[in-house]
Amino acid sequence: MTTTTDEIDEAAAELSGDAPSRRRRRSRRRDIPKLERTRLPYGLIAPAVTFMVLIHILPMIAGWILSLKRLNTFTFSRLFSAPWTGLDNYGTLLFDDDNSVHRGFSTALGNTVVYTLWTVTLTLGLGLGIAVLLNRPVPGQRILRTLMLTPWVVPSFVMATLWQFMWRSDVGIVNDILVDWTHLRDERPVWLNGPNSLWAIIIPSVWRGIPLAMLIFLAGLQAIPEELHEAASIDGAGPWRQFRYVTFPLLRPLFAVQLLFGVIYSSYQFAVPWIMMGSNPGPHADLLMTLVVRESFSNKLVGLGAAASTLMTLGMLVWVGVWYGTFRRDLEVSR
Amino acid sequence: MSAVGGRRSTRIALDVLTWVVLLVMLAPIIYLLLASLQDNLALSTGNFELFNPSFDGFRTMWSRVDYTHFLINSIVISAGAAVLATAFACTAGYALARFRFRGARPYELTIIGTQLVPGSMFLLPVFLGFIWLGKHSFLELQDSRVGMVIVYSAFFTPVSIYLMRAFFVAVPRDIEDAARIDGCTHFGAFVRVVLPATTPGIAATFVYSFLMAFDEVLFASQLTQDDARTLPIGIRLFVSAHSEQYAQLLAAGVVSTLPIMVAFFATQRWLVKGLTAGAVKG
Repeated sequence: MTTTTDEIDEAAAELSGDAPSRRRRRSRRRDIPKLERTRLPYGLIAPAVTFMVLIHILPMIAGWILSLKRLNTFTFSRLFSAPWTGLDNYGTLLFDDDNSVHRGFSTALGNTVVYTLWTVTLTLGLGLGIAVLLNRPVPGQRILRTLMLTPWVVPSFVMATLWQFMWRSDVGIVNDILVDWTHLRDERPVWLNGPNSLWAIIIPSVWRGIPLAMLIFLAGLQAIPEELHEAASIDGAGPWRQFRYVTFPLLRPLFAVQLLFGVIYSSYQFAVPWIMMGSNPGPHADLLMTLVVRESFSNKLVGLGAAASTLMTLGMLVWVGVWYGTFRRDLEVSR
Repeated sequence: MSAVGGRRSTRIALDVLTWVVLLVMLAPIIYLLLASLQDNLALSTGNFELFNPSFDGFRTMWSRVDYTHFLINSIVISAGAAVLATAFACTAGYALARFRFRGARPYELTIIGTQLVPGSMFLLPVFLGFIWLGKHSFLELQDSRVGMVIVYSAFFTPVSIYLMRAFFVAVPRDIEDAARIDGCTHFGAFVRVVLPATTPGIAATFVYSFLMAFDEVLFASQLTQDDARTLPIGIRLFVSAHSEQYAQLLAAGVVSTLPIMVAFFATQRWLVKGLTAGAVKG
């Protein structure tokens, strides 16, 4: 709070032209040397900023430039000096019905939207449900809370390998359960290709995502003062109404942040389909990232891959805009 | 919450439900442990011999593919990247936690902004750049541990900064002021007082970025061939068109998870604090 007023003071002092004297006076009052006050933070962020600009920002710009180049199998050896092609790559991706990459892009976009929708909804929904369960005094609470995190600690490449093994149609445990044990299905479904394959990547993703969502919701639940529930209870609200009108509104900021990053993270999912189904997961489970990597590296269509990456970034900016418009009020309340 | 489940029967039902949910969450991991103790015949037919475990997979996984090489690569690369990312995050996170300075807000937005960009947007130019550097200079970054450390540390620095900032915010300002009254410069107070007070946070950030790098698939799959191959890509060699060595694959999965589990549960208290602090304060 004090820093904000300091900043205003400083700005006012600068405007009126007597910045140095004002600053020195205040500095002396606090025994903080003037030079350090102004320069230290820049020195502190300098290493990180330099590194990020070199390895993060510049490649990002280079990636965008690549999207304007005709960089394919024939021009690949020229690397960054491949011929310019303007916005052709974008046109091909978005509108060229004769191009197989355009068709693949549309399919992958559709799959990614469905994948993201289900993964985020189920992860947040189940994560919240489990958090509510664990927020009660349960026998063995500490062990429960710790063990519930285990799926998140299994590396996702081990997790994807394991599920690939469990999804096997002829002898996999999932079909053993569905067909032999519970008789929910008469025939053993095929999971790793065909129409079921999108679910074969959604379910493991949700399973691994639940613990983190649960952890964050649980922290939020524990921060809610008990008195609020007591007050609502005295006013005659049952458990559901308490959750609906007391708990959930207070969790909304947490929900909003997880929704934001959940959508970004899921939209860029690569590891799970790539490990379970290889570089071409087929038309039912191909996601945007697997498509981009396949076209850029296996088929050397680097320009198109860069254009697709740029379009994905733009899509995310739109999502962030929509998200901000929806949750702006929650973020202010939480401050 | 006393409100949920006031009646005794509901309470017991909810307790049971909680334990059942835990069992469902743990089921795939239990299955992984059981399956890794079967031989390839049992795995290919699905008829497990639960009371006659075989340690074949664990014994032969080291020789069938160069697992040790992949494991060392993974640990060296992840540790190198985590050290760098945590170091950058310490200074930058402290600056963002303690100072109001011009450019702080844009810098924060850039940090978040990097998360909006798909990995392929960096991967393509980095891949071409590595090839270019290999041709035009002495730097051989393609398929090298150094190259992977550089890429990963850059990639995981933003998240690390966010974690470290949350830890620095929690350090009381008084201990810093006390050190400065005793004659420390501000930077000296940061190094001698604030950093030691944040050791748990530094450990948590290190472990978190280590976990992220250890589990990275996209960059590893395209930027490494053999010398710098890491575990996520390496263990795929157990299953190819010619041979399905599932016992070895699953055993390798278990062995790969162990160091992660140990690191996680050793630092769990601080990790959880770091991951939830930012979320709860908004």
